[in-house]
Amino acid sequence: MAEFNIQQQKLKNGVAFVAVQGFLDAHTFEEMEKTINDLFDNGTYRLVVDLSKLDYISSAGAGVFIGAIGTAQENDGNIVLMRPSPNVKEVFDLLGLSQIFPFANDVEGAQKLFT
Amino acid sequence: MGEVHDRIVITNDTKFLGFVREFMSRMIRQSNLSRDTENRIILAVDEAVANIIEHAYENQREGTIDIEVEADSKRFMCTIRDSGKKFQPDTVHDPSIPEHIKAKKKKGLGIFLMRQIMDEVRYTFREGIQNELVLVKYIGEKPAPQP
Repeated sequence: MAEFNIQQQKLKNGVAFVAVQGFLDAHTFEEMEKTINDLFDNGTYRLVVDLSKLDYISSAGAGVFIGAIGTAQENDGNIVLMRPSPNVKEVFDLLGLSQIFPFANDVEGAQKLFT
Repeated sequence: MGEVHDRIVITNDTKFLGFVREFMSRMIRQSNLSRDTENRIILAVDEAVANIIEHAYENQREGTIDIEVEADSKRFMCTIRDSGKKFQPDTVHDPSIPEHIKAKKKKGLGIFLMRQIMDEVRYTFREGIQNELVLVKYIGEKPAPQP
């Protein structure tokens, strides 16, 4: 089982790339929430979240993105979700989030969604 | 093949959710449920247990949560019991995701997911004894509702 892990790096145009690995659930969501809040506090509202190595997400995990996307959009940003695994995509579909969040297959495609 | 009966007991700490998911994965794979439902059924039970951990026991009081699975060729049933405070999922309405986003609300989606995924979500409270939440997924054809 992959340990929960978040890595981030700065991309051009004030975009932050955040890669999440492992299981995003009621036990780990606060770490994800803190990462996003810290980025917002630093004035970064354009986020690309790589979900390709996220094995599992529950409503607590999805709730972090639901709670944050409004703040991102209010500040000329957005949260672009990148390459969710089938299990993770299924949860976004069940919650009806696939029509609300922008999705991208790679960083280039994600960057274009901010322009 | 398909007859399954087992249970686990955890304390009310989210660090045990991974253990619950592993247990559910094992139960689903031993049952006649289709493997493509595995992620969803695990999610429904994870949501139920996470709700109990968050809401049933006040003031960080330690309590136990009992998760029992019984399955046969026709149905997969998970019964979750706790001794925390009464909870009434029937009073919880399905959320509007656009409203959630507008209000920057992060929680309140677990029961909605349970209802979306399972064929039956039944809750019973026995005064002074325990809460019992029964989640059922039918295998194959869903039985006709009783008159």
